[in-house]
Amino acid sequence: MSESAMAVVKPEMKSYIWLQTADGSIQQVEEEVAMFCPMICREILQTGMGSSKNYAISLPQRVNPAILGLILDYCRFHQVPGRSNKERKTFDEKFIRMDTKKLCELTSAADSLQLKPLVDLTSRALARIIEGKTPEEIRETFHLPDDLTEEEKLEPLRNITDDPRIRLLNRLYARKRKELREREKLKNVEIEERVDDRSVDDLLSFINGGDGDSKAVKTNKNKKKNRRRKDQQKDSSSTTNENGNHDKIEELDALPSCCQNNEFNQILGASPSRTVKSQDSAAAMYSSKIEFDDADIYDDLDPAMKEELDREVEDFARRLNSDWPERVQEILSLGQERNLVTVLTGNGSSPRFTKQVLIGGSSLPVGVQR
Amino acid sequence: MGDVLGVDHLSDLPQSIIECILTRLPIRDAIRTSILSRRWRYKWTTLTQLVFDDDCVAMSNDGIYEDLIYFITHVLFLHEGPIHKFHLSATYLQNTPDLDQWLLFLSRKGIRELIIELGDGEWFRVHSCLFNCSKLTLLELYRCELDPPPTFKGFLCLKSLKLHQVLIAPEDIESLISNCPLLESLALSYFDSLVLNICAPNLKYLYLEGEFRDICLQNTPLLVSISVALYMNDESEPFGDLSDCNYEKFLGGVPYLEKLTGHVYFTKYLSIGNSARKMPISYIYLKSIELHQVSFEDMNEILVVLRLITSSPNLEELQISGSSNPVAASEAPDLDFWENECPSNLTFGKLRVVKATDMSGVPHEMEFIKYLLRNCPVLEIMSIRPCVYVTDRRLNMLIELLKFRRASPEAEILFIQE
Repeated sequence: MSESAMAVVKPEMKSYIWLQTADGSIQQVEEEVAMFCPMICREILQTGMGSSKNYAISLPQRVNPAILGLILDYCRFHQVPGRSNKERKTFDEKFIRMDTKKLCELTSAADSLQLKPLVDLTSRALARIIEGKTPEEIRETFHLPDDLTEEEKLEPLRNITDDPRIRLLNRLYARKRKELREREKLKNVEIEERVDDRSVDDLLSFINGGDGDSKAVKTNKNKKKNRRRKDQQKDSSSTTNENGNHDKIEELDALPSCCQNNEFNQILGASPSRTVKSQDSAAAMYSSKIEFDDADIYDDLDPAMKEELDREVEDFARRLNSDWPERVQEILSLGQERNLVTVLTGNGSSPRFTKQVLIGGSSLPVGVQR
Repeated sequence: MGDVLGVDHLSDLPQSIIECILTRLPIRDAIRTSILSRRWRYKWTTLTQLVFDDDCVAMSNDGIYEDLIYFITHVLFLHEGPIHKFHLSATYLQNTPDLDQWLLFLSRKGIRELIIELGDGEWFRVHSCLFNCSKLTLLELYRCELDPPPTFKGFLCLKSLKLHQVLIAPEDIESLISNCPLLESLALSYFDSLVLNICAPNLKYLYLEGEFRDICLQNTPLLVSISVALYMNDESEPFGDLSDCNYEKFLGGVPYLEKLTGHVYFTKYLSIGNSARKMPISYIYLKSIELHQVSFEDMNEILVVLRLITSSPNLEELQISGSSNPVAASEAPDLDFWENECPSNLTFGKLRVVKATDMSGVPHEMEFIKYLLRNCPVLEIMSIRPCVYVTDRRLNMLIELLKFRRASPEAEILFIQE
């Protein structure tokens, strides 16, 4: 072993090292270039491998021939002593100009060869690609599956950043859930299937003078609300009647944002024809025409406070459209999808649509944060 | 959904690389990766380096302070595994009880690098659990109060210590320094009226700034780089003990010095007690000397400069800025000093670059330049930048400069006027 180590150290004629990639292909590489990779260097010094084709050094699985070529380019440049920092930097910058797939492969391969400077270079490049991008953009760039539910996506945001926008979004969600639930209850009353599944929230709203069965006489505002509810009932009750199995509700958490939009569209497009709303209706959707009724929370607030909250929500809606486009896009695209389904299925016999409506019947935990 | 056939190469990378990538992202972006996909959900939670700053939370009109506290607390709460680096520099953050909890949490997470810089305002008192962080290798604290408990035995792994505007008892700072046996880098700034003895056998880099009254490098044999800025305190007490030679106290035991930088009153400090019967000390590694605000009307300061450059046979670069009072200095009674005191056969064989700034053109300055030009055989550049307040004497300076003999045929003289 010491002999082979000696041979390596001695600067003789140009000597070569044999390398074998996982696919079985073997290639010859200038020794000083190959030695730049610590993993190969160690292999040569410790085992004496690489001196001939029959004793080629087998490289890790993660190094395929194409990537090995890139890595050797990198080593060939950087192993030359006496290059200025500026030269090296310029080379590096050009070197990492490649698609993200290749960049990932290269990072992985460099890691397996313990080529730390290259790992640093490529991971910095990957970080630069990720930085400042929206989750959607990152997903698209790297082909990440979008396999988290809306609720899950909000969870960490809610927990960590305490972004006021998220707080408001949560509040919106909560209101919509509540509204759906109440509407569902109304339906239940009408079809005489009333089950006492009232949640704490319902009880609270009852205590607060809210109407468990919404038929009680209320203030002007509530009358208006009721009128609207009736309209909605006409639209949606037919869909629920067919599908009565309330228990088979899965992926509940996937729904809040879409039912919210569906809701909006139902409200806005109160006409029976129910046209598909275009995306630019978002502002209108959130505009003041809609009165959010979160009876349990807001009905007993003093009017000034209530006004302020409404303003806040309105303001939020505006911001949602202006400086948070990705979230809006997401919600909108979901909403549109659902709408199309609604339109296509006419009376809404699609299980998907039914599910959305059904959600109102369950008592979801209300995760309002303020 | 984009390309359905696309393979998720990024998520397939080993966790070590993913951490590498996440570490290079601002923490907000790193945490946001948790909503990318199921596999990314908790990848950030094992990050070992956490860096927080004002940008961690969205800008809003108010509440940044609370938001930031909330944010940091929750990140720590969700974090999993060891935390090696915790870096907090947030100008919006003031002294808060949460800080104690964070520190306690970190002290149990094997913290190695700790940097805490809060905004101006009330200084915070560092919780004593800091002294249980036995794995610390780097500690940087700004505007706080430090009070090591009597049982504290030192940070055995600490290599770098930086204290900026930190209140600590003089005996505590000395024992803190000497109880960190591996200490390589020490920076103390805005320390007031402090007499400091430094014992740090492995110290390589020293940065001092403040109203130090006296400094003694008692045991710092490996020092490579020194940078000192001394400010006079109000009572203008004299520096040091007049019976001592400050030069020898400070520079007597640093044979490996490579770079010396002195700001403000450093040269004056060294000149006190600098006797004619000086001990020969040679700095064979010293390549760069930078001395600012040297008063050329004070012969003692000139002697310090000369002593330094004549003891550094391998000096390559010298920077000097003057702070002469042109009126007082133009008297210049002892001009023959340059003829008598300076050995004309002595040459500075390696000195290539001399930069003289804030020159007023007073006699001793010009004599100094003349001396260097005559005795630097390999000089490449002598740049002279006159003091901005001196306008009438510039032409005279130039005429005088033209007369000086140059030992180096290559020497270029640059006279820089803005």
